Amino acid sequence: MIDAPRTGMDYHSLNAMLNLYDAEGKIQFDKDREAAREYFLQHVNQNTVFFHSLKERLDYLVEKKYYEPEVLAQYDFTFIQALTERAYAKKFRFPTFLGAFKYYTSYTLKTFDGKRYLERYEDRVVMVALTLAAGDEGLATALVDEIVSGRFQPATPTFLNAGKAQRGEFVSCFLLRIEDNMESIGRSINSALQLSKRGGGVALSLSNIREAGAPIKHIENQSSGIIPVMKLLEDSFTYANQLGARQGAGAVYLSAHHPDIMKFLDTKRENADEKIRIKTLSLGVVVPDITFELARKNEEMYLFSPYDVERVYGVPFGDISITEKYDEMVDDARIRKTKISARQFFQTVAELQFESGYPYIVFEDTVNNANPVAGRINMSNLCSEILQVNTPSTFNEDLTYAETGKDISCNLGSMNIATAMDGGNLAQTVEIAVRGLTAVSTQSAIDAVPSIRYGNDRAHAIGLGQMNLHGYLGRERIHYGSEEGVDFTNIYFYTVLFHAIAASNTIAKEQGTAFEGFENSKYASGEFFDKYTEQEWVPATARVAEIFAEAGISIPTQDDWRELKAKVQKDGIFNQNLQAVPPTGSISYINNSTSSIHPIASRIEIRKEGKLGRVYYPAPFMDNDNLEYFQDAYEIGPEKIIDTYAAATQHVDQGLSLTLFFKDTATTRDINKAQIYAWRKGIKTIYYIRIRQMALEGTEVDGCVSCML
Amino acid sequence: MTEKLTLVSHVDAINWNRIQDDKDVEVWNRLTANFWLPEKVPLSGDVQSWATLTPEEQTLTMRVFTGLTLLDTIQGTVGAVSLIPDALTPHEEAVYTNIAFMESVHAKSYSSIFSTLCSTPEIDAAFRWSTENQNLQRKAQIVLDYYHGEDPLKRKVASTLLESFLFYSGFYLPMYWSSRAKLTNTADMIRLIIRDEAVHGYYIGYKFQKGLELESEARREELKDYTFSLLYDLYENEVQYTHDLYDGLGMAEDVKKFLHYNANKALMNLGYEALFPANVCDVSPAILSALSPNADENHDFFSGSGSSYVIGKHEETTDDDWDF
Repeated sequence: MIDAPRTGMDYHSLNAMLNLYDAEGKIQFDKDREAAREYFLQHVNQNTVFFHSLKERLDYLVEKKYYEPEVLAQYDFTFIQALTERAYAKKFRFPTFLGAFKYYTSYTLKTFDGKRYLERYEDRVVMVALTLAAGDEGLATALVDEIVSGRFQPATPTFLNAGKAQRGEFVSCFLLRIEDNMESIGRSINSALQLSKRGGGVALSLSNIREAGAPIKHIENQSSGIIPVMKLLEDSFTYANQLGARQGAGAVYLSAHHPDIMKFLDTKRENADEKIRIKTLSLGVVVPDITFELARKNEEMYLFSPYDVERVYGVPFGDISITEKYDEMVDDARIRKTKISARQFFQTVAELQFESGYPYIVFEDTVNNANPVAGRINMSNLCSEILQVNTPSTFNEDLTYAETGKDISCNLGSMNIATAMDGGNLAQTVEIAVRGLTAVSTQSAIDAVPSIRYGNDRAHAIGLGQMNLHGYLGRERIHYGSEEGVDFTNIYFYTVLFHAIAASNTIAKEQGTAFEGFENSKYASGEFFDKYTEQEWVPATARVAEIFAEAGISIPTQDDWRELKAKVQKDGIFNQNLQAVPPTGSISYINNSTSSIHPIASRIEIRKEGKLGRVYYPAPFMDNDNLEYFQDAYEIGPEKIIDTYAAATQHVDQGLSLTLFFKDTATTRDINKAQIYAWRKGIKTIYYIRIRQMALEGTEVDGCVSCML
Repeated sequence: MTEKLTLVSHVDAINWNRIQDDKDVEVWNRLTANFWLPEKVPLSGDVQSWATLTPEEQTLTMRVFTGLTLLDTIQGTVGAVSLIPDALTPHEEAVYTNIAFMESVHAKSYSSIFSTLCSTPEIDAAFRWSTENQNLQRKAQIVLDYYHGEDPLKRKVASTLLESFLFYSGFYLPMYWSSRAKLTNTADMIRLIIRDEAVHGYYIGYKFQKGLELESEARREELKDYTFSLLYDLYENEVQYTHDLYDGLGMAEDVKKFLHYNANKALMNLGYEALFPANVCDVSPAILSALSPNADENHDFFSGSGSSYVIGKHEETTDDDWDF
């Protein structure tokens, strides 16, 4: 793109000044706002294609195959015109440089040569709303209202692709099982390629694959285990990366009791041999309760051969509850086993987390005990917030499906807690968000991977997330992780859950159908609701009661829950899964939010992405007067983060991406203690571990905001 | 090398339980925690980005990296090693061996960048340029001469100027690219190198100041004069070198500001006042901010490995930790 000649400061430099204090030691917020303005003046406005009217614009975009004509054909032109005016009337402005830059670099529609912009932010919002509403004018209007006001923000694949003629899928995230045979392994590599090409993150479970040295066709010491499969997957994702616009990204999960677990972890070692080193694949470990019990007693933990377990129990290793069968399997001579020290295992996990941030952790029994639908959860996804049941597929020799199992996809979108509270109508915001996400599910058909399509058609799972918790609390002058902070989190998520189930129930009633397997769920039995009908949930602090009262948002009562329970038992709910709180990278910048429900990583965050380079982002709502409420995650420490997440987790059917932050004075023991604490508090998954090493005194960059403690 | 390398004449077993200078342990711990190898960084992620650079930009980038390779080689095989015989404490000797090794890692990591991004004839051409460029060779010669000289404190001055000043004309370019969203994985690796060099320059400068405390007033004067005149020599040469490299792309002015900034930094490490006034050190904020290697950088699985992870400290859990 052509940039104007430099007059004074260019926007890159203005933005970077955010990270440098001014002469009085104040953060230069105004420089970032100036950067955003300069970005429009110097760059965006000059590179945006001009049209005389909306009609001319839409005709051109359809004719040149930029927009999908089917989307527009569902509406009268006068309606589209009115809706566009409605969107523009909200006078949306990007408050930060990064928000504007990210939007124009990554989301907006560009000419095919990539040089000129064809959409402004409002045009994108209208197109997303028209696509998701599928001809329903009321829903399209409501979606525009919720998105432009910032209360609801669809996830990247949806917001990026909706309405474009040349596009990827709307779905964020895929989870695939791999079974212990060559057909399944081969097919999963193909699936990884196909799904990466379409722009989603893919996670795969390796737990069922036989260990290194296991027999093949009864001949001993034949299998090479899981590492070569990981290598194949890593290379597949890298390949898809080179073709597509967005990089391919993948994760693999393994049970803690798989015999290859230590080799799996060692792939992330700093000095690992090139043949086994895994650079770009993300790793996750599935840890059952029994592992903690064994570590408590400082005993050895047994690792079981998946090959033998499948032969003894007739089901894949990943579908067994290890906690339940542990003693039985230890005593069974038919199952080959090895052992390692349980505490050593946890320490190794912590060491690797220091070196690489990986592995993620899934607390298997916590996850399954909280799961309201029938079946087992044995893995998570690339961001460790998707937790759904799956079933195996079987294949013919030519890799066609003999029996199609259920694999998992998830459609994500997040609410901005601050604007949602300000909006004052949480029920409406949640309902429109749920409808928007459900539309993504009903409009998606991933035929390249039949097990994904099969699962989506039956489950209509969605993942409604939340972001900007820290920004909101900071604005309200509440400390993150304080009693009031945790209390707010609890009541907010409690209220959102109520409205999410109510919305899904309304959709089930309209559609005349619930998700497949509803009748075997804890929703149908009513058991799910016991927690809410038999216990009263009210704010514990005066401040939180006041916040909700001032916002005009009522908190559901036990009677409300009894009524909802009756409706759900009658008509069911449409979505097998409702909530999942993703880490929200890009969309939180566009939406002017802090990521997810995390504390901020830094007052001025440094963002590095392939397309962006280094850009600086100030915490939303932070100014030079309320800095004390914007402590960063390293100062806040793991306990308060875990307390906050625990309050939210009890009202979320799937998971929440939970990153833990440590200063570099921490040891592996501190990480282990935090893991134990998280597990005890009922946390379902742990995402990254981050370590902050401060510059050695005397070597830091002068006057740099992000270098200061 | 013709002259004989001076070795330490007498060695006692090093006892890390008797520490004379806490800074030795602090720096040792920091350096070992910062250990890394080039294989850690997924450089292949930059292949596409590399292709978007113009041929001139590619040539410049390769030349910059061959220049850096030369300096790191000097520092690894001669510089850090030459400081060992002058060490004040046995632990200081151990720190220098670590520095020497990491410098060799740095030198090798540029080769990783080359082999990932460029073809063999291109690499050979860039190395040929580095042996033929007078200013680069002169820079190497000046520093080498001082390493071979007799005065231990002067060796430290030369070393600090190398670590804290001379590298940066080269570091400018990858930081510039990363602030323009190019070669971001390469920039991650360079940031790891900068992280190391910052500690090296700081430590050697600190040891220089320690040594200075034992000297007479007259000798201190002499060393200060010496430092500034060496800096002038190097600075003049560095300006020429900067023009050789960057003139083609019109970036030389901003690089010079960056040189001033880092020259001041090197002097600060040696305990001297700044030489260049602030108004000629106003480096582009995008470059300055890009230098900080801290974990505030928010990267995820879509964006490479970053430059903030460290080797952890092991500590076993106790029964109390597991009491639930």
